[in-house]
Amino acid sequence: MSEPPKDAEAPKLEWRNIRKAFEGKVVLADLDLQVTPGRSLVIIGGSGQGKSVTIKIAAGLMSADAGQMLVDGQDLFALPPKARRGALAQMGMLFQGGALFDSLTVWENVAFRLINADKVARKEAKTRAVGALERVRLGASVADLYPSELSGGMQKRVALARAVVANPQVIFFDEPTTGLDPITSRAINTLITEQVKGLGCTAVTITHDLDSARSVADEIAMLNDGVIVWRGPAADIDRSGNPYVDQFVHGRADGPIKPAI
Amino acid sequence: MAPLSDAELPLVLQPVRSVGRSVLDMLQTAGRVALFGVRGVRAMLAPPWFPGQLGRQLMSVGYFSLPVVGLTAVFTGAALALNIYTGGGRFNAEQIMPQIVALGITRELGPVLAALMLAGRVSAAMAAEIGAMRATEQIDALHTLSTDPYRYLIAPRLLATVIVMPLLVVVADIIGIAGGWVVATKTLDFNGAVYVKNTWDFLQNWDVESGLIKAAVFGFLVALMGCYHGYHSSGGARGVGRATTHAVVSAAILIFAADYLLTAAFTHR
Amino acid sequence: MAKEQWAEMGVGAVVIAAAAGFLAYSLTVGGKGAGHGYPVQAKFGQVGSLAPGAVVSVAGVKVGTVSSIALDPKTFLAVVKLDMDAKTPLPADSTAKITSDGLLGGQHIVIEPGGSADNLKAGSEIENTQGAVDLFGLVGQFLRPSAPPAAGAAPAPSGASPSSAPPEPARGGTGA
Repeated sequence: MSEPPKDAEAPKLEWRNIRKAFEGKVVLADLDLQVTPGRSLVIIGGSGQGKSVTIKIAAGLMSADAGQMLVDGQDLFALPPKARRGALAQMGMLFQGGALFDSLTVWENVAFRLINADKVARKEAKTRAVGALERVRLGASVADLYPSELSGGMQKRVALARAVVANPQVIFFDEPTTGLDPITSRAINTLITEQVKGLGCTAVTITHDLDSARSVADEIAMLNDGVIVWRGPAADIDRSGNPYVDQFVHGRADGPIKPAI
Repeated sequence: MAPLSDAELPLVLQPVRSVGRSVLDMLQTAGRVALFGVRGVRAMLAPPWFPGQLGRQLMSVGYFSLPVVGLTAVFTGAALALNIYTGGGRFNAEQIMPQIVALGITRELGPVLAALMLAGRVSAAMAAEIGAMRATEQIDALHTLSTDPYRYLIAPRLLATVIVMPLLVVVADIIGIAGGWVVATKTLDFNGAVYVKNTWDFLQNWDVESGLIKAAVFGFLVALMGCYHGYHSSGGARGVGRATTHAVVSAAILIFAADYLLTAAFTHR
Repeated sequence: MAKEQWAEMGVGAVVIAAAAGFLAYSLTVGGKGAGHGYPVQAKFGQVGSLAPGAVVSVAGVKVGTVSSIALDPKTFLAVVKLDMDAKTPLPADSTAKITSDGLLGGQHIVIEPGGSADNLKAGSEIENTQGAVDLFGLVGQFLRPSAPPAAGAAPAPSGASPSSAPPEPARGGTGA
């Protein structure tokens, strides 16, 4: 892999020759990808193509078999533990199912990181949590409810509030609209865009929902069989001229991509 | 050289290979469990600590286990008293019953039965809870919220159970002896005062202390199995179910094994 | 908190109360709490199967327990430490004997009170002792009288009163 072009800004995140296999099955094969600071990249692709693994490696939840995961130019795997924790502390993540802690109230979920990692006093943490809930258009009335008392869409919003409350520099979105109806999906997409632009942070979203990809992305990359087969501005997705992307966009059964069934 | 597949291997050697494989698997698992335990203990010893989590666990592991431990102890003490009375009768030694009941409860049955009850109650609950957290990515979420799951989830559970088990066993000892006392005084015409006097005169500190040492060790095993199987569960709801079963079974087996080893160590002391 | 949890809280409290109640009862009736004993020791040539925890009695009534048994490396006598009940002072010239409950029963210590006006003090030694009788050694000697004397018997024969089952020749502990 050559150095990125000189005129481009240094990438915030860079996957360099990342390789990952599970029990002999290769999921990522020499993946190369960069994200420029402040840009929103959406990775699309079919089920089981390694999208999840890609962001889990970047978020430090998984190790790679080979290659380097650069954050601000430093290899995450080679950093000493403390520096590694520091690099990961600037990241937030919105999980597919929300992954809210069901034994804690909504505001305690949102403020979790402030209370437990950043040692913010509970009172101040609650104020900030309620503020973050407002940013995702949830009133203070839900703050004292438990996650199980909320609808799926509201849980997603709480999870989004939790991901942004500490003003991260990088946010990962794992299938943010999966399992939501189209209207709620659109609302979540809007919120995501707002938050990302508002914080000026780098965003990496994985999804197979093209609507979501179009509305959230500055750039789109397509992952197939563990490699990036296409990458370009979000506007170009419909005229990429790439057989993989075309097949995916039009949902055709025939083409280079084999259905995962 | 490429490894031979099972089909290529001569038929007679296949059982040998599968035995070898399962032994290796077992050793590997033992190694992973040990490593997990060491990480858990290290998380226990260094900050950040989560006193809120510890308190919650002390309550749910300790206080809420009292009913089940108490009931087990009282019935065991009562049954033990009847059996020893019968056995003692064959030597005309019924009168030694209080002493043997006390010895049996404090040294052996109190700790072992309390630990088994906790294996059913606590190991299973921990495996299910942590397993569900794993399945719903809550453990990953902890990581992304800059919180070490070993410190937040594992260490409080290990510590709480190690603290609480000896206390539960003290209660189990007293209630177990009380169970024997009830049977002895109500159905076997023992004098209640003489019964407790004999028990007190006979019991030595070490009888109780050795039981409490056992209790702390068993407590660690119970929590370790629950946490380990939950933490390493995979495969959704079925995985959680599997983790729960494994946690209870392995905790029970380890309790018996540790009980023998500790008893042997105490005997040759 | 859920209703169910209140119920659990209640049952837990009942269990603790029951345990505390029985403990309090047993302490008032038979407690060993306050009247703690005083230690004395005695040396025996042979303790047989005597073990820590064995009963020390006078006229069949328990007055203490054996707390430890060790070997004196110089004299090769067994040093037995006794934890005596503070409520029963014993004359300083009492005799301690190791006897067994039955033919093969557990061994314990019987104290025959002396006539001295002084009592045994904490930490003092009972000088008059009579060790355990090696029953099998005796039987062996009986069957094969030419065999060498049974091992383990204490050095000096004593003229203490004949005790339990075994017939002659009783080999006992050190006479004072």
